[in-house]
Amino acid sequence: MNEHGLILQNAPHVRASESLFTVMADMVVALTPLYLIAWFYYGPRALLLGLTGAATAWALDLLGVLVCGRRPDLRDLSAAVTGLLIPLLMPASVPYYIIVAACTIAILAVKFPFGGTGNNLFNPAAVGFAFAAICWPGQVFSYPAPMQQLAVVGEAVAKTAVSPAHSLMRGAIPGLDLFDMILGNASGPMGATNILVILACGLYLWVRRTIGWRTPASFLLVCGLMATAWPRSPFGVFDSVGWELCSGMLLFGAVFMMTEPVTSPKRDFAKLLYGAAAGVVAMLFRYFGGFEDGFVFALILMNVSAPLFDRVCEHLLHKIRRGALLPEKKLPASGAERPPREKKPKPGLKKKTETGVGV
Amino acid sequence: MLYFIPGIVLEQRKEPMLSRDMAVMKPDAPRTFSNPFKEILPRELRPEEITELARLADIIDESDGRSLYEKLIEADKRGVEAVIADAIDDEPYISSQLNIALHEPEKIALALELCAKAAHADLSKTRVAVYRHVLDITIRIPKKLAGVEVMRFGGRYPAEMRAYHKFQKEKKTFSAGTGALLHLVRAAERGIAQTTCFVTVAGDAVANPRNLEVPVGTPVSEVLRFCGLAADPEAVIVGGSMTGRSVSDPEEEKVGVMTRGILAFRESHKSLGYICIGCGRCDHACPEGLSASQLRRFAEFGRKDLLELYDVDRCIGCGACSYVCPSKLDIGSAIFAAKRSLAAEKVLSEKGGAAE
Repeated sequence: MNEHGLILQNAPHVRASESLFTVMADMVVALTPLYLIAWFYYGPRALLLGLTGAATAWALDLLGVLVCGRRPDLRDLSAAVTGLLIPLLMPASVPYYIIVAACTIAILAVKFPFGGTGNNLFNPAAVGFAFAAICWPGQVFSYPAPMQQLAVVGEAVAKTAVSPAHSLMRGAIPGLDLFDMILGNASGPMGATNILVILACGLYLWVRRTIGWRTPASFLLVCGLMATAWPRSPFGVFDSVGWELCSGMLLFGAVFMMTEPVTSPKRDFAKLLYGAAAGVVAMLFRYFGGFEDGFVFALILMNVSAPLFDRVCEHLLHKIRRGALLPEKKLPASGAERPPREKKPKPGLKKKTETGVGV
Repeated sequence: MLYFIPGIVLEQRKEPMLSRDMAVMKPDAPRTFSNPFKEILPRELRPEEITELARLADIIDESDGRSLYEKLIEADKRGVEAVIADAIDDEPYISSQLNIALHEPEKIALALELCAKAAHADLSKTRVAVYRHVLDITIRIPKKLAGVEVMRFGGRYPAEMRAYHKFQKEKKTFSAGTGALLHLVRAAERGIAQTTCFVTVAGDAVANPRNLEVPVGTPVSEVLRFCGLAADPEAVIVGGSMTGRSVSDPEEEKVGVMTRGILAFRESHKSLGYICIGCGRCDHACPEGLSASQLRRFAEFGRKDLLELYDVDRCIGCGACSYVCPSKLDIGSAIFAAKRSLAAEKVLSEKGGAAE
């Protein structure tokens, strides 16, 4: 502030009302219905798992910020969102310590070594879940049957049921109606089975411009196409597509995890490509992977390549902006002032990864 | 269609400035010049007399800062067909051009006629261009203003820049700001030179926001005092709300010919200490289709090769990227600064090469 009580600022002098806080709060708002429906199916344990995850992640994030010597910011809810995502990928009967371990890995091993919020290389929730899946595959992939109240504290002894994704992996037919699967009345990850609720939450996030439609749409489209081309169930194509898309965590991941801003590409075309490539990888993990759902592994693989998609897209956009893709006769109009640039040697692969890491 | 045009949707906040009449600050000091065409009625002026009048009255077009005289001569040489009055105020708060078009349509119509005559353009092809997506105003923009058809430019912000580029590209249109046109009519009717400019005074610290005719050279603080301050402002801006400049000393800062707005806000932007999360909203907002988020990083790290690949020279400095940023980063100004320094370096190296 100077002697006239004025502060100098850069243009523009009006700003949008959305902030990082509202973006992350939107995610929290969109995840809440999933917890409520999980409460309905499995009892209050679902809520408590979520609270444990969010509290652990948030507290560790605060610790990380303090260790880094930054000023803690209570409006930064990104860690809490990570903590809320992880339990939704797990069965409601999962022990609390697994959630705590997964959140710890997500924050301390994935987020902070790279510089905290906005700098993580991988989706923290995906790596946290992948860690838990590798360490405790028995607990993470044994799903309780829905509509039973689980013990709130201690070990939840529950009647387990075979999840649709598991039956598909074994080449069997999920013994479930597709309608039940859409309503979420199927065993599986406690947040990822409620297809209708996920779609509604996705719609909310899209209307609020917190997520874009391109990545999820192209991802699900490619998954659907692959399910059509190589069905794993002996029944018709329609059933195959329905079962593949509604089972496991494909839809949940597409809406809530692939759209994570930090680790996904920025340009529209790159988003479409990224979604499509992720769809192929995720389905390959399903066909040939050891786990019943390898979505998180596919996502981690794709996260690394996200800057590459952006760079390829940028080369294309560069040509479009310079009018290189226009027909010849139109060139003089724009080419007179802005001649197409001579082709420069492409930056080497090493440079690409360097800039990519910095995202 | 709105969905396919890149840019941002802005709340326009043009009321109550737009509905109120233009007030005049220091009305008793008009500067007359020795008008050789005093006896001739405006409509009977010959083309070269109109251009001469624009030169004698020192009229500067406020929309691009060029002299109206030169613009008319150049338009005559180029052979324009249509003459357009630019009243596209697409920045929030700013309504000085639109205000003139709505409150003094007869004069604008006459000025358009004069310009069309001077540039030997088609007299039936005069238009007043306005911004279509100004929804939060109480006044209705009619289809015709004093017999001149109104041309509506839709789309997201920045519409004025887009329209201006379109006019330039077409080569057969001549556009001038409504302020300059009003000055031309005054010169023809009363022999008054351009000594004032039209300014929107607004912002939440201004007690009586309105459009004001201000003598050029008046200190900004005097203009603010004229409209009254409701609170001590923390930020005073000269120019538009999207592209204007923040002022450090309102006593020293003078109103210029191209000044279209003076804004005073109770609160400045405070840095929230957020960092970029790469949400890509800025990329989506950019009307030129640039990757704003990446450009900001490259500007920060001084990666000139990548700045060129990402077409930093295409940045028009509209500020749409900074507007949408949820982390409240100064993306636009960083990119624009990088563009400028890169262009300056290029000029320097070219000069150096020529000297060798």
